[in-house]
Amino acid sequence: MTTEKGLRLGEVAFGLAVLALGVFIAFETWTMPGVGAATTVGPRLFPGLVAAGLILVGLWLQLEAVTTGPVKADGIEIDWPSFSLVASGLLLQIVLLETLGWILAGTLLFVMTARAFGSRRHLTNALIGLALTTLTLVVFDLGLDLELPVGSLFEPLLDALQK
Amino acid sequence: MDTLSALLHGFTVALTPYNLMWSAIGVTLGTAIGVLPGIGPALTVALLLPVTYNLDPTSAFIMFAGIFYGAMYGGSTTSILLNTPGESASIVTALDGHAMARKGRGAQALATAAIGSFVAGTIATVALTFVAPLMVRIALAFGPAEYFALMVLSLTTVTAVLGDSLPRGLASLFFGLALGLVGIDLQTGQARFSLGVPELLDGIDVVVVAVGLFAVGETLYNAARHRYEPEEMYDLKGSKWMSKEDWARSWKPWLRGTLIGFPIGALPAGGSEIPTFLSYLTEKRLSKHPEEFGHGAIEAVAGPEAANNASAAGVLAPLLSLGLPTSATAAIMLAAFQQYGLQPGPLLFENNSSLVWGLIASLYIGNVLLLVLNLPMAGVWVKLLAIPRPWLYAGILIFATMGAYTLNNNLVDLVILWVIGLIGFGMRVLDIPVAPCIVGLILGPMAEQQFRRALAISQGDLSVFVTHPISLGLLLTGLLLVVVPVLLRRRRAKYTTA
Repeated sequence: MTTEKGLRLGEVAFGLAVLALGVFIAFETWTMPGVGAATTVGPRLFPGLVAAGLILVGLWLQLEAVTTGPVKADGIEIDWPSFSLVASGLLLQIVLLETLGWILAGTLLFVMTARAFGSRRHLTNALIGLALTTLTLVVFDLGLDLELPVGSLFEPLLDALQK
Repeated sequence: MDTLSALLHGFTVALTPYNLMWSAIGVTLGTAIGVLPGIGPALTVALLLPVTYNLDPTSAFIMFAGIFYGAMYGGSTTSILLNTPGESASIVTALDGHAMARKGRGAQALATAAIGSFVAGTIATVALTFVAPLMVRIALAFGPAEYFALMVLSLTTVTAVLGDSLPRGLASLFFGLALGLVGIDLQTGQARFSLGVPELLDGIDVVVVAVGLFAVGETLYNAARHRYEPEEMYDLKGSKWMSKEDWARSWKPWLRGTLIGFPIGALPAGGSEIPTFLSYLTEKRLSKHPEEFGHGAIEAVAGPEAANNASAAGVLAPLLSLGLPTSATAAIMLAAFQQYGLQPGPLLFENNSSLVWGLIASLYIGNVLLLVLNLPMAGVWVKLLAIPRPWLYAGILIFATMGAYTLNNNLVDLVILWVIGLIGFGMRVLDIPVAPCIVGLILGPMAEQQFRRALAISQGDLSVFVTHPISLGLLLTGLLLVVVPVLLRRRRAKYTTA
């Protein structure tokens, strides 16, 4: 749940994030080892400009958040549990992808996302996810020569099958 | 003339059965993906990039042209029947198009959009055929200073024009520029902002950022909002054909929309938001029934849709002849070119003329294919709109993660996708435009190179940017575009308080 106050807080946080990114880039640019004395403009100038831009815009955003307030005046409702479900589904996929492989990690992501959108038919969803990920793996790995991971757990099994 | 024979050659390339097949696959996939709610043309092109990895460049870009035009057609279906414009250029279509659908005139709205897109697309492609070589000739006179000024101009217009708040647009732009800094500096070999991660030395891929902002960010946003925003979907019913009156009220807006859309799209000022709004306002002023606007006036669908498609063709002119992307979709297309080791610009016309002209010829062909595909098959695309949302968004994430992973086959891209997705969610909640970020990411490094090249030639003398007349003119235009709206807004505020 996010009310008007929450949204205003979001704007302030966004402005601060922009500011922080600017300061970070400025610091990194400052501490960058100096090379290329031969070139008139080194690799530092542009990062410096971008950092300055970010810092100025970050300050401007703070000013705007305080004076004019949020664009959506009556605030916006956020369903955080559903949001977290999708976000953690994506994270799990990253963690599991290379061991469990594209098919299982993708299916898990499919089921979790579908649940976040209110579908409770987990078995049906799992079957659809399984079909979709298997299809993409077959089409892309065999047809288009891309390498979606089969998963380190299953690779010995595949090798054994091929022998 | 030169251009005509080049175009004819292009047709012989594009009309081979093999390339014709890729064009047909492109328009079909483009329409099918573009029709899905929440997927605009930029994301459609980004998601379909992996499909083309193994094609030769000519066929790949013929397919891209089809995907690009197809996604535009598909997007208008979504905004008319579902009122969820996939990108800012379709917002205007959604206003009256959805009102028509509510009155049971959805089929007519779709028809005027499709035929209008065909008319506008064809005229604009003809214009592109002749404007692009002219631009190439101008581009040959450009040095690094002029290129830099041109890029600054297009960055400022993309930023200043979008959204109602300048600092928000700027924040998005600078975020994109910051992402563009990551990786090895091409001129000195200095690693910048790679945080010790070797995979970051190659920089952050614009496709990952686009998919993260559009697909992952959008899905997170919809997951968080679907309980509060029930959708209203209107099926097609009644007569499928446009009446005589519909035709009479549509043809002039089509032509006017084209006239507005192409030049604005072709200028480095770019974007398709302004032409669609301009077309809407023009039609409202010229209409005999201004009171119908907002309640389902057919002119308000015909004009902006034509303007949208014409500007989409217009955007290709600076993209192909100058290598300058002026919309998010064009930025992704440029990334696609770079993936094939091609750099759009005058040299591309010189060295890869059969690719460029094959691409342009396939735009003509794609337009015809789309008209054939869309009028009778509108009902099929409408079925796609009815996919249950849990499966639709879960599927979008599957394809988004697949696209990001297969770019370089490493998990780092998936991590970046996740982070960018969260940021995209935040930007969506706070109403921050994403197009400046994507254009900034791809134009930033190019602008830096031209900037440094210009200064290397002038031996560090900063005045090159203002002593070259073209460069000075472009920079001044950019400055005006930022300053004038701010002043206007301030004046308006003064009037309302006084």
